[in-house]
Amino acid sequence: MNMQSITVRGKDRYKSGVMEYKRMGYWEPNYEPKDTDVIALFRVTPQDGVDPTEACAAVAGESSTATWTVVWTDRLTAAEKYRAKCYRVDPVPGSPGSYFAYIAYDLDLFEPGSIANLTASIIGNVFGFKPLKALRLEDMRLPVAYVKTFQGPATGIVVERERLDKFGRPLLGATVKPKLGLSGRNYGRVVYEALKGGLDFCKDDENINSQPFMHWRDRFLYCMEGVNRAQAATGEVKGTYLNVTAATMEDMYERAEFAKQLGSVIIMIDLVIGYTAIQSMAKWARRNDMILHLHRAGHSTYTRQRLHGVSFRVIAKWMRLAGVDHIHAGTVVGKLEGDPATTRGYYDICREEFNPMTLEHGVFFDQQWASLNKLMPVASGGIHAGQMHQLLDHLGEDVVLQFGGGTIGHPKGIQAGATANRVALEAMILARNEGRDYVHEGPEILAKAAQTCTPLRDALEVWKDVTFNYESTDSPDFAPTATPAM
Amino acid sequence: MTQAAIQPVPDQPAPVSAIDLRKEFEAVDIASVLAQLDRELIGLVPVKTRIREIASLLLVERIRQKMALATTFPTLHMSFTGNPGTGKTTVAMRMAGILHRLGFVRRGHVISVTRDDLVGQYIGHTAPKTKEILKKAMGGVLFIDEAYYLYRPENERDYGQEAIEILLQVMESQREDLVVILAGYGDRMEKFFQSNPGFRSRIAHHIDFPDYAESELMAIAELMLTEQNYRFSAEAREAFIRYIAVRKTQPLFSNARSIRNALDRIRLRQANRIVAKLDRTLTCDDVMSIEAGDVLASRVFAEGAAKGA
Amino acid sequence: MRVTQGCFSFLPDLTDEQITAQVQFCLDKGWAVNIEFTDDPHPRNTYWEMWGLPMFDLRDAAGIMKELADCRRVYGDRYIRLSGFDSSHGWESVRISFIVNRPKEEPGFRLERQEVDGRSMRYTTKAYAVDRPEGERYGA
Repeated sequence: MNMQSITVRGKDRYKSGVMEYKRMGYWEPNYEPKDTDVIALFRVTPQDGVDPTEACAAVAGESSTATWTVVWTDRLTAAEKYRAKCYRVDPVPGSPGSYFAYIAYDLDLFEPGSIANLTASIIGNVFGFKPLKALRLEDMRLPVAYVKTFQGPATGIVVERERLDKFGRPLLGATVKPKLGLSGRNYGRVVYEALKGGLDFCKDDENINSQPFMHWRDRFLYCMEGVNRAQAATGEVKGTYLNVTAATMEDMYERAEFAKQLGSVIIMIDLVIGYTAIQSMAKWARRNDMILHLHRAGHSTYTRQRLHGVSFRVIAKWMRLAGVDHIHAGTVVGKLEGDPATTRGYYDICREEFNPMTLEHGVFFDQQWASLNKLMPVASGGIHAGQMHQLLDHLGEDVVLQFGGGTIGHPKGIQAGATANRVALEAMILARNEGRDYVHEGPEILAKAAQTCTPLRDALEVWKDVTFNYESTDSPDFAPTATPAM
Repeated sequence: MTQAAIQPVPDQPAPVSAIDLRKEFEAVDIASVLAQLDRELIGLVPVKTRIREIASLLLVERIRQKMALATTFPTLHMSFTGNPGTGKTTVAMRMAGILHRLGFVRRGHVISVTRDDLVGQYIGHTAPKTKEILKKAMGGVLFIDEAYYLYRPENERDYGQEAIEILLQVMESQREDLVVILAGYGDRMEKFFQSNPGFRSRIAHHIDFPDYAESELMAIAELMLTEQNYRFSAEAREAFIRYIAVRKTQPLFSNARSIRNALDRIRLRQANRIVAKLDRTLTCDDVMSIEAGDVLASRVFAEGAAKGA
Repeated sequence: MRVTQGCFSFLPDLTDEQITAQVQFCLDKGWAVNIEFTDDPHPRNTYWEMWGLPMFDLRDAAGIMKELADCRRVYGDRYIRLSGFDSSHGWESVRISFIVNRPKEEPGFRLERQEVDGRSMRYTTKAYAVDRPEGERYGA
């Protein structure tokens, strides 16, 4: 790789015609990123025969100031400052033909507090650029100066726990099933049973909005009857994520206002509503003491493939800035994509004050969060009580564990399913705090708890062999290796 | 809910009938604590002997527990008597280590207090203060220096009595949770025990800390200096031997503590002597070496001479 | 009914031995442990009465268990909970909380509904116990 700047300087730089990107100033191998720069790491797969450095410089160019030819109007600007600079290109280990391109962007390229503007730059046009076979945004370093222009999670993990009066254990939830077709009255029944049985939350699914079988006001009214009944039956704060996703902002605000009026502690939106709508709802949530749950509906269309798209860790960073309180971030052991190391990286991004560079978790940069609230990850999809020790081990304590099928599919009914999950969780936390090796003794701990809890015994029996072991499509490129002591 | 309350079975291992003594001794590793005590403390032979005896007793007690032969939890509270600077606090720390390794206290820390930490100034002040300290000491050793100040017979309404009552109660009912060591001058402790028989009956081990002999004080001084990378010149050593002899006869002598203070002042004079002559190159030897003059300039000699005259 | 607030309400009532282990867990984390009691267990009654100040800087659970025993002696007819407080930056909040004492009978809560604005509803949760004055709520 060419490690010298080959940028053309002086008068020749602005001669009309076509010039290679790497000669226009988008490849600056000696550039040292400033503390205030936004840094993006792309996985670049050039078309056959395209020089990798040129491809990476093109990504820098096309995601900042460049167009396909030299333009004289550059000379009316402080062009050097506004040019994104690719300063490092590494071949991807074990993946011939792909390169990691590190690109630094000056802070002035972005509007403060706007995910829409940030993304329009970084992933705007460049993903369709013809000289590239594929392009993936792997990670971003967001400078503190930029982080501070965002609201961040409306509520945050600490205040969410204080409001719910629930500490020291993961929260438990369930998505109402079947996803579609239940009437409002039947839907509220599921909510009541699950909450009374021991769950903290129920949840609308991503595509439950306002359909012919159940209009949204009906759903809200019956759900809140269920929530309040369960609250009185247990003395605990309970909630159900009322999905306010709708066609327009006006509709969403109307639904959110109604949820608030009925006393709901939490509402929900889908990722598909778009970044601007998400930020609007986050501001609404902070103004109205509401916890904001985000379902990452649609993300797998661009996060799942290793060669092309946007890594979920970047989406997680954007969503922490945008200001949601919950985000689905994978289960490791459940039915949806997520290898343990990569998932660990997502969870750290949501919950830590500082993320150190950890290549084996796919985290490429040190990231300071500058006291931005913490975002609660949600694990949902194909998990059950028998995996409690593994879930606690992989995902930790600050997480919502969503057992949809694992609650509603219980042979003795929804309440029994909920109780089984709650007992399994409490028994595991108790054992962990007592200093037991709960990861290895997990099955014993569960069996012991089941001696005094029939619903747990039934759950362990029904789902004892259910696992989802498939090869992951998105695992880290770097494995931890033992280095000999020097 | 469907669960009925159940009694968990405590995880108590079954009693054993035979034990490999060497293995047990090595497993608890008290030998290293005893060795540390030997290394750190010069002299104190009777004290070290007593500590060894107590350690052996506790080791056997532990074995008896394993054999299910021990009937009650042993009383382990102690009194350390002796003049100031005779190593009582240091020994208390090592004792806590031994008790911890043998499993007679759970954490092995030492909370060191005096009357002011336990006794309040007005009504209702003392009980919370004493309880606060006791809570901090739980799982470890509570070391009460100059314990006799707790008791002031001349003042009927003294709040010390309240602290004493709380202490006595905890020493009896929470023997498994903490060990109390009362420390102070021998004669005053004796009087204290006479007026507070409750304490005497709860103390299992009395250890008397003798004053150091002059040669021991000299050894202590050399150990302290070595630790700080100083040393006496031959003449300074002679001077310091004389210093000890004179200082011992003067008031407020407190054994090793007086030696430490004397060395601190000697280091001050040495530094002053060095800095007084700026135009020269210093060697390691120069800054490590204590000269006779550094010792002889002490006021102790002047006072000793005045007294002798 | 059984109030299921706190970390371990779905398990059989914890023995003192089990409580000691949880308290020691808190102390080993460097958290302050607080004992609180109430006879109004409303889900949003945040401020239970404190049994003394939160206990900072302790090494061993025994001191807290002694306080708990004292608290039970006085307020054994009420709800008592233990909580662990973490003062480190980014938390500065409760990290664990669990009930360690309950009244003999738990009468539970009444749900009051007020029909408003068409099909809408206003809900109020009220503990049956608070119909009686403080201190006389659980037959003490």
